[in-house]
Amino acid sequence: MNCKATINWQTIAILTGIGFFILSLCLQAQQDFRERAALTLQAASEDDERNLYVLTAKLVQGVDREATLEELLSFTDDHVMGGMFYAYQMIGTYLHTKDFLPDELRSEIHRAYRDRTMYRGDTENHWVMYYTGLYLAAQTWPGLDGSEWFNGKSSTENLIEAEGWLREWMHITITIGQGEFDSPTYLMTFLSPMLLLYEFAADPAMEKSARMILDYLFADYAVKNLRGNYGGGHSRDYPQDIINPLTAPSVPWAWLYFGEPDFIPWDNPMGEPRHSGWNIVFAALSSYRLPEIIYNIGTDRSTPYVLTETKRTRNIIRFAGQRNLPVYKYTYMTEDYVLGSLHGGILQPIQQHTWDVTYVSNKPNNTLFTLHPYYSGKELAMFFPEQKKFLADEVDRYHKVYTDPDKWNASSPYEQTMQYKNTIIVLYNIEPGANHPHIDGFFPKTLDDRIELDNRWIAARHGDVYIAFYPLKEYEWIEEEVNYRWRSYDLQNGVIVEVGRKLDYGSFDDFIKHFSAASVEVHITEETLRVIYKNRNDDILDFTYGGDRLVNDELVDFSDYGLFDSPYLQSERGSGIITIRYGNKKRILDFNKSTITEIE
Amino acid sequence: MKFRYAYLVTILILLPSMLLTGKGEEDNYSVYCAVLFSAPDEASMLGYAHPARSVGLFRREIDGSWHNVHHPNLFSYGLGYSHHNDTFRLYIAGGNGLHRSSDDGKSWKVLTGWTTEDILSVAPHPYDSTIVYVSTPFGVFKTSDDGQTWREKMEGMERWFVQKVVIDIDSAETVYAAAEDDLYKTNNGGITWEALGVGVPQILEIVQHPQNNDILLAGTEDHGVYFSHDGGETFMPGNGFPETAAYAIGFSGDGTRVYAGGYETGLWKSTDNGETWKLIWDDDSFDAIYAITVNPYDQKHIIVGTNGAGLYESTDGGVTWQHAGLYGAHVQQIKFVPGS
Repeated sequence: MNCKATINWQTIAILTGIGFFILSLCLQAQQDFRERAALTLQAASEDDERNLYVLTAKLVQGVDREATLEELLSFTDDHVMGGMFYAYQMIGTYLHTKDFLPDELRSEIHRAYRDRTMYRGDTENHWVMYYTGLYLAAQTWPGLDGSEWFNGKSSTENLIEAEGWLREWMHITITIGQGEFDSPTYLMTFLSPMLLLYEFAADPAMEKSARMILDYLFADYAVKNLRGNYGGGHSRDYPQDIINPLTAPSVPWAWLYFGEPDFIPWDNPMGEPRHSGWNIVFAALSSYRLPEIIYNIGTDRSTPYVLTETKRTRNIIRFAGQRNLPVYKYTYMTEDYVLGSLHGGILQPIQQHTWDVTYVSNKPNNTLFTLHPYYSGKELAMFFPEQKKFLADEVDRYHKVYTDPDKWNASSPYEQTMQYKNTIIVLYNIEPGANHPHIDGFFPKTLDDRIELDNRWIAARHGDVYIAFYPLKEYEWIEEEVNYRWRSYDLQNGVIVEVGRKLDYGSFDDFIKHFSAASVEVHITEETLRVIYKNRNDDILDFTYGGDRLVNDELVDFSDYGLFDSPYLQSERGSGIITIRYGNKKRILDFNKSTITEIE
Repeated sequence: MKFRYAYLVTILILLPSMLLTGKGEEDNYSVYCAVLFSAPDEASMLGYAHPARSVGLFRREIDGSWHNVHHPNLFSYGLGYSHHNDTFRLYIAGGNGLHRSSDDGKSWKVLTGWTTEDILSVAPHPYDSTIVYVSTPFGVFKTSDDGQTWREKMEGMERWFVQKVVIDIDSAETVYAAAEDDLYKTNNGGITWEALGVGVPQILEIVQHPQNNDILLAGTEDHGVYFSHDGGETFMPGNGFPETAAYAIGFSGDGTRVYAGGYETGLWKSTDNGETWKLIWDDDSFDAIYAITVNPYDQKHIIVGTNGAGLYESTDGGVTWQHAGLYGAHVQQIKFVPGS
């Protein structure tokens, strides 16, 4: 009896321990924003990285104050570099910490806006940072003439110019979409300045606009967030983040606002991020709170949904008849994976990521995709004013992989996609003579299975997520450090990918059995590249390269796409009104009237 | 003619001071160049903490060295000046907009705002300091109130990318615009434009003979140099110049010689206003010639700017060449600026 009783108590103790452990995990995942913000500030203040975010955290937390002030002073020294990052970060640091700053240091920071050239840059994120910095600096030091500013303009002129651009950017963003949309890397360069603007704009109208655009940006992000993974196609991203999504710079933001992923981002088990992530310091200090409805949209994955969107290209300066061509996005979100795509072609220079399937995993490299590693001076000359014969070399200086045949980010004029829910067809019609005339696929080694079936289908599995991958042409495998590179050399080429879950498809054996028998119709002529595929749900996808996209004989018409269309986000292009829904609740952002309406 | 008259008056005004100081015209100028960017390795080798230190507007000092006269870290596509009455103005066409200095580079003001984005070239009106044209990736803009306001001037243009804008030597109402699809001309100060029909797209450069405004030379992206001897009525390809990018063309002050260079071309010379070309110099240290200028007071003094190898000059009409500084620099434009 005693023995039995002992076992029972032991069992109870173990179960209780497990229970507490699970509970603690749940609690950790549910830590509210304030707790995560406090953790962020504490960790940043203890870091020895030399940047303005860390210095801000140290000053706010009262860590090494004298040394920190000295360090901050060194950021104002007679250095040529201003730049757009500096322009907004320095004023952000100043405004968050001015109560701790001696007068002399305040003057030195002020002087930096006179003596340093704040370079405006050449991208959307550059200008957001530059003009936010300029707006807040001009507001902070009003009434000065041009001799007190780096650009020779008075405080009033700078404030007017900055406000003019910021309002124009907001208008474009909420009517035809962002140009640098859905970028796991550059997300912070929009959120962080807008959080500053919301916090410190003295003009109530600008503060309100910042609040609304923050709701917009967070909602746009939330609807593609899958446990910290930024799902779907991206306008711009770096190879490391593309092949290892949970190390992307957006991850700390997902953690801070959605509590996902469930690990502390500065102690990332998925690998070493490119950036420390301390750019969330300004967010941690902000009084902006994510509306509950956006939090719920970002975290509730109980019901699969389709999201279609319109974004825009970056400003095109040459070789097109339109400044901002529309970009059509399709995203299919489930609890376990997200499959998303851009419609294809050159939509962004250098860093485009056209499509992928990314699945929930506690292992790194949880994604699979293909691309054509195209590069050309002409592509770059579409977006940059320098001469096209030099641009590829110039871009290589900053983005080291641009001309690399093995790169993992690219926009190609020879790539087009068609997606319907869990199935995507990606076609490549590569012109003879094009640079790097092959297509590559990323298959992570962390997949549990990667099986080549007799009928050319490749069946892959990670946990309960299954991926069927059909190459139209012959291919080879190249083993690399974290992945197997699938490579195919035919110029008229493509893949069909169907993603499933145990929930929908049963066992992986059943999945394999199905695809062992699956058939694909491919019609290739000299003029057209056409694929007809019936997926397991009996949906028939009919896609001709450069031609029609048909689903079950119905034409997919991109002109029907709104700015957003999904159960959670809706907006007609050009309307200026964004409706955010969750359950019975609605939050309507009306940028025309500058109102936020909440409806239960 | 009005411009020529103004120029003559300027010379007559300056002549007594030149005689008094014992200096000739040739001493009364400065050389400026606009640097877009510099190769990091070379810039670092020269002791620059960051390549951004070696971009911007540079002026050549008496000892031959180059001094950055405006904020470093300003990507500069072009430069311009106006010099009339008692007003001397320097302009930089740059990434942050059009910069102007009225005190010989001591202080600067950005004249343009967010609507004009990068400024690729500047053409100040020769005798009305309130009027300035600029070219941008999104068209030609003009101010008629000294930079207070800017108006887009695009009527008649098919595409918006304009690499360069140049004012006619005789008529300031006539302006040329080197655009993506053609060379454009306006005779009414930019109100309307007409395409001249060069015959090939992507015009990168446009220059006019210093004495004869009927003679125009255009540099193109893929087809070398084109010339017109009838004021732009007809264009023909220059014979001999390679069919590749011609980025830079520069006349000698007397108009008897013209030089051109581009992508992997070396430096070419023509003595018949662009009809025929002869290679006179090439060097392995650079891929392209991006800027050419000839000393208006010394026809044998030529300076060329390269992509990534700084400046070279010849004082014997192109027979021999020496490096002239700014190692690592991508030089977009060079100008001899009189009277500064």
